[in-house]
Amino acid sequence: MNVAEPGIVIEDLRKSFEGFNAVRGVDISVPQGAFLVLVGPSGCGKTTMLRMLAGLEQPTGGQIRFGDRTVATATGGSIAPGRRDAGLVFQSYALWPHMTVQANIEWPLKVAKQPSGRRKARVREVLELLGIAQLASRYPGEISGGQQQRVAIGRMIAPAPSVLLFDEPLSNLDAKLRVETRSELVRIHRATGATSVYVTHDQVEAMTMATHVALMRDGVVEQFGSPDDLLSDPASSFVATFIGTPPANVIPAVVSGGVARSGGKAIASLPPSVPTGPIDLMYRAESLRLAPGPAEGVLAAEFAESTPLAGRFLVSASVGGKRLSVIADDHPRVLAGDRIWIGFPGQPDGLFDSATGAKVLLEWAAGSPL
Amino acid sequence: MRAEPALRGEAVRVSPGDRGKRLRSWLTNPVAVLGLVTTAVLVVLVVMPLIGLIGTTLGTDGLDAWQKVLSGRLAPNLFWEPLANSLVIGSATAIGSVLIGSFMAWLVVMTDAPFRKTIAVLATLPFALPSFALALAWETVFRNDLIGGRVGLLQDLGLAVPDWLAWGTVPISATLIAHYYSLTFTLVAAGLATVNGSLTEAGEMAGATRARVARSIALPIVLPSIISGAMLAFAEGVSNFAAPALLGLPVRFQTLSTRLYGAIATGETERGFVLALLLIAIAAMVLFASTRVVGGRRSYATITGKGGRRSAISLDRWRWPLTLLAGLIALATTILPGLVLLMSSFARRTNSLTGGFTLHFWIGESDPGFAQGQRGILLNPTVIEAIWTTIGLGLAVAVCATTLGLAIGYVITRLKRPKFLSNALGILSFLPFLFPGVALGAAFIALFGRPIGPLPALYGTFAILVIAGAAYTLPFASQSGRAAVGQIATDLEEAATMTGAGLGRRMVRVVIPLAARGLLAGAVLVFVKMIRDLSLVVLLVTPATPLLSVMTYRYASEGFAQFATAITVLIAVISISATLLARRLESAAQPWSEAT
Repeated sequence: MNVAEPGIVIEDLRKSFEGFNAVRGVDISVPQGAFLVLVGPSGCGKTTMLRMLAGLEQPTGGQIRFGDRTVATATGGSIAPGRRDAGLVFQSYALWPHMTVQANIEWPLKVAKQPSGRRKARVREVLELLGIAQLASRYPGEISGGQQQRVAIGRMIAPAPSVLLFDEPLSNLDAKLRVETRSELVRIHRATGATSVYVTHDQVEAMTMATHVALMRDGVVEQFGSPDDLLSDPASSFVATFIGTPPANVIPAVVSGGVARSGGKAIASLPPSVPTGPIDLMYRAESLRLAPGPAEGVLAAEFAESTPLAGRFLVSASVGGKRLSVIADDHPRVLAGDRIWIGFPGQPDGLFDSATGAKVLLEWAAGSPL
Repeated sequence: MRAEPALRGEAVRVSPGDRGKRLRSWLTNPVAVLGLVTTAVLVVLVVMPLIGLIGTTLGTDGLDAWQKVLSGRLAPNLFWEPLANSLVIGSATAIGSVLIGSFMAWLVVMTDAPFRKTIAVLATLPFALPSFALALAWETVFRNDLIGGRVGLLQDLGLAVPDWLAWGTVPISATLIAHYYSLTFTLVAAGLATVNGSLTEAGEMAGATRARVARSIALPIVLPSIISGAMLAFAEGVSNFAAPALLGLPVRFQTLSTRLYGAIATGETERGFVLALLLIAIAAMVLFASTRVVGGRRSYATITGKGGRRSAISLDRWRWPLTLLAGLIALATTILPGLVLLMSSFARRTNSLTGGFTLHFWIGESDPGFAQGQRGILLNPTVIEAIWTTIGLGLAVAVCATTLGLAIGYVITRLKRPKFLSNALGILSFLPFLFPGVALGAAFIALFGRPIGPLPALYGTFAILVIAGAAYTLPFASQSGRAAVGQIATDLEEAATMTGAGLGRRMVRVVIPLAARGLLAGAVLVFVKMIRDLSLVVLLVTPATPLLSVMTYRYASEGFAQFATAITVLIAVISISATLLARRLESAAQPWSEAT
């Protein structure tokens, strides 16, 4: 990947729909060949972002550049969707039901006025790449959801666009197919050498496929970076609780005299630089332990469920109405609703301002284990 | 995430500088340009005739006519009594149509009654028949000797037919109900079909009884279609021309439509225009009320999405009695009047089963002993000409109205800004609904009766019939255009936009193929409506442009019952063949939808 070559540059992008601000100033820049995933809960503005990249919506502020071409600005002079050298896979696939698979894939090439021979060759090539050559003469209504999805991808990549856009393409597939298709999509992305933008609400997809992730919330980017950045160094408690399998635990606590207490129990000692008052502590599931019984630094919890996970168990329990995840070596062997105890053996994995959710940066004492 | 209107908070402020920019962006948007052009066409078709009508009634003669109609010595006779008659007939038509239409729709869509498909097909037929077909059939059977001349079958067999059964409110309402229940049936059946199986099943899972589910879940979903069915039947009943003209006029039973026709036919043009405006005002009030009641509950089914399976209501021991009842209604409004008309066209002696039968009225050569020496209709060059003119008119209007309907439907469902264009199109395309046929005919005479600038007077030409027909059928055409385009997911078109396809190409390759079924159905509806229409064309037709429906009316009023019924049978055959042909074409037009 050549970092010097710009792929997609988004500057201060905004979009409001008659007063509703769907996107409120987004800046993202990824190099050519990147796989950018826009992830976030529904209503966060990620699909609006994608539609602006596609040219189906006009930004009301800011601009978008593909490579060195400015494709959209708020002040007019936007390039039409079909001239952006971009392709889009719709969430619904939007295959034309009155055209065969072959015709669906061939159509963009017809619009681009490619000669017939070249079109046919390209369609064959795309069908081979996607492994659906045997479906060429079928109508979309005659093939399965997973096959429809491949056709939609085929239609997108047929004109060999330099930007691939995906709008939650896996959301209509069953769980097993979804996992298989993830790697398939990344393979196609690599094979085309294009820059991809992929919208999803599923952080697992973001973590597994992306080279770059933008986690969005309420029309702004909460954090932008590599999947590893978001996982190891979440910028806010929102990121911490959205990303990861399982996501990190954020436990509200009150600090006084260097000790953080939750529900009256002292659970962690913090450096003296941490100010007195409320604070949110981040603990990853693997940083917590199940304790055999009540003790100092142990909270009582109500057991909810236990999921086997690679030879260990992911235990969910609630403390004061807040759900916590713990990785345990053994099943707690209790029933839902029973009491278990959760211990906090080390320093928290991060601290967040309890009012704003922002990361609290502080100087840890030398030798502190964090 | 796309913003839903409900999420929209603060308003956007527009600086004056933005306005010019906006205007430019509209003019470079092909959809907005299409909207502008379509609006201009609708203004000519709809607004100008109305202005012509109003303008004429504001002159000296016009103001005088207003006074005479509303408060003069003749006012009761000219306006108030016909008004009362029209309202009574309208109400009876609405109530009767809703009761019968809803019952049949419920039986066909929701239950396990046998022969449901047959009943459904029969129940949609009356609307394909001209409304004068039923009136003629009624007359053939029930006419008595009140006004002398020929009598109907019953009286011919020696049975006395009371006047109330032969003339006036009862027969007019009965024939209109028999015609328009078909409309409410279609609307309510469509409404019931949208009651997704999973909705009612969810209600049953919640422990509600079948009756409770019907009342609290199914009824609210269907209510809008029942209400619009009732209002449409009322408006049609109030303004219908053919039935009161055949079953009322001979005994001087007048409705607003017959009064209006009479006024214009006798040269009292201003008086006629005043009555036309009053008739339009009444229709407008009714339909306005109905949209207020139904308002905003409209919903489209989408092409994508999974339909729930519905389990039919088991009728048990009511199965056969209810089926029989529905079957009888369906037969009595379709096959039976059809047979009566057919038989009457063969009767040697008018409306008589005992006088022997002949083919003379169909294929007879000129014979002084028969019908004053006129030849049978299939040998009569004027009738042959009328057949071709009628079919030509139907086709021309269907093509024009459907094209307009597609443009209107497309702009309304796809154009986001400027919003006023799609609003204007919505209102304009609905407006002709308020124009009873006779009134619209009058308006077109008011507008195109004399030359406008370089344009010659269109009165007496084929063109004025096509233009008036397109205006008349616009509400149907635009409705089917809207529904047809509205059910195409925008994704499908955006996918084409992404490949760089322009508006024209998207239309031809994506929108029209996918909307074809709905558009074709709409086009056939328009065709059939034109073929069987009498009210619009009765004032516009001249000998240069003979039309079958007008010939029927003339023959019927002049006492040539066999010719009238024979031509009506001809019209029915054309209408029904068109409808059946359309069904064939529909399935042929979209082979891909057979697969699923």
